[in-house]
Amino acid sequence: MLSLAIPSKGRLKENCHAWFAERGLVMEQTAGARGYRASFAGLPDVEVMLLSASEIASALLAGDIHLGITGEDLLREEAPELKGRMHLIKPLGFGFADVVVAVSQYWIDVSSMADLDDVCAAYAQTHRRRLRVATKYAQLTRSFFAQARISDYRIVPSAGATEGAPAAGTAEVIVDITTTGATLRDNGLKILDDGVILKSQAQLAASLTADWDAEARKACETLLSRMNEAPLYSALSAEFRA
Amino acid sequence: MATFPYYDAGALQALGAQADAILGLFAGRGYVHEEPSVLQPAEIFLDRSGEEIRRRTFTLTDPSGRDLALRPDLTIPICRDAILANRKWPARICYNGLAFRHQPGEPHRPTQFFQAGAELLGLEDRTAGETEILSLAIEALRVAGLKDFSLRIGDLALFNALVDALALPKQWRARLKRHFWRAGYVESLLYWLGHGDGTAKLPGTKAEIEALLDKQGDAPAAGRTRAEIIARALDRAAEAAALRLDPAMADAIAKLLDISGPAEQALAEVRALLKTTNINLDVQLAAMDARLATLKSLGVAADRVRFTAHFGRNMEYYTGFVFELWARDKEGPVQVAGGGRYDTLLESLGAKQPVSAIGCAIRTERLMAAKAVA
Repeated sequence: MLSLAIPSKGRLKENCHAWFAERGLVMEQTAGARGYRASFAGLPDVEVMLLSASEIASALLAGDIHLGITGEDLLREEAPELKGRMHLIKPLGFGFADVVVAVSQYWIDVSSMADLDDVCAAYAQTHRRRLRVATKYAQLTRSFFAQARISDYRIVPSAGATEGAPAAGTAEVIVDITTTGATLRDNGLKILDDGVILKSQAQLAASLTADWDAEARKACETLLSRMNEAPLYSALSAEFRA
Repeated sequence: MATFPYYDAGALQALGAQADAILGLFAGRGYVHEEPSVLQPAEIFLDRSGEEIRRRTFTLTDPSGRDLALRPDLTIPICRDAILANRKWPARICYNGLAFRHQPGEPHRPTQFFQAGAELLGLEDRTAGETEILSLAIEALRVAGLKDFSLRIGDLALFNALVDALALPKQWRARLKRHFWRAGYVESLLYWLGHGDGTAKLPGTKAEIEALLDKQGDAPAAGRTRAEIIARALDRAAEAAALRLDPAMADAIAKLLDISGPAEQALAEVRALLKTTNINLDVQLAAMDARLATLKSLGVAADRVRFTAHFGRNMEYYTGFVFELWARDKEGPVQVAGGGRYDTLLESLGAKQPVSAIGCAIRTERLMAAKAVA
């Protein structure tokens, strides 16, 4: 059996259904599964599970599922080094969003990561504590700030409404996801010129830590070739051999 | 060494005997043996050391919700306690205990290791303090039974003095100093300063800047005062005009940072290169000469000492003289000890005045492995 997880609600779910339908695959709800299981007509060896987008990322990393569709931001946050753990099969052309570094528009003297570096250092000296960055993307933030050579800061985990943190006084800077930037602007924030950490979209991804027995491989090959994407399976099976 | 080391009776006995020898030496020089607790409040490391050390520090939350850390070194908790206990300066403190570090990307390296070390806090005579600690580290290796080792030395003060001598805006000097320990980055900044163009993005007068701030509506101040922002904006405007380094000068500094080799020869190279500029680093170079003389008097052969101009240890709290002692174990070269000056640490931990500080730490398990090969 091949297990495939897709988002259980919202626009991501609708987009997934549409994406499969365009490729001739019709999803059917499994009877009695309370809407958390489904299958494709004519593909009995593929079991479809509906999970939350972030659960899909952690299930892929844990090897609990073979395939999953979720945001690249969540995948990269869950597994900072994808190599040997996950293989991104295909970007799907929906669920676009950018993970960005944003500061208050009041900080008229800050427009780049280099400016932020200066301000971080000055802040640590003046205020005797580190500047706080609120985010739910701790891993992405760490590696991006390290690339920008910034070390004088600390991360404050944020569960939701991150864009409100600077106004609420719980953090000075945020790293958050945005599609149009409107929510950031509404909260008096701006994106730094070189502050785009990741241009994310929904990805069809394979777990490399899952148990890929002969049956699962065969079902995956069939699934991809039914969608006219057979070459994608060759790339994936190269990862199995690696 | 294993990720989770297991110490059998033989290993414990050997480590114990070696630690006794080292602590005995420290005690003979007036160092008091102390030990902070293994679990510490997380913020004393995280607020001080930055995100890079945070990545390597094991943190946990106690049942009441307080953030704790397994000490990634003993220096910070010892210095903190010295401040809280209102110690008289100079204070001489030594220790031997476990430190804990996560090793990102290197799962084969141990997550805990023994460190023996000495801290000399609040001694006014800086040269005397450096001689004392450098000698102590070398003698500690010898008293433990290691005969052959080499040194790598450097001095962040040399680089800082170099940067201070440049006709650059204050913030750029601060930025260069802050990034000294990231060699490649400093070179690219220098190149940009010498060959790039600095264009202004902000208006140049205070009134214009204030007007711009007033236009930001409800945008949150986000922890910075209006005055702070105005001051930095004015600095930025001024520096955009001044941000230009003679390309020859920028290249000379980049070349200087590249100097590394047997100490006497390397320092001669530094002097020769400085002659082509108008920068005077006589004080800092004389201090380096004095350290070489100390090493000579300790019987360390000149060819065992390397000077590396960009050497600055990647622990962010060092501020001046830094050194590393190297030996070989069965897998190759291994750093067995290190140390240096960290003059700003105590103030950042809450000391009311600046306190001069210098210390050294010995990786006793690596030392043991190196002795096994010799």
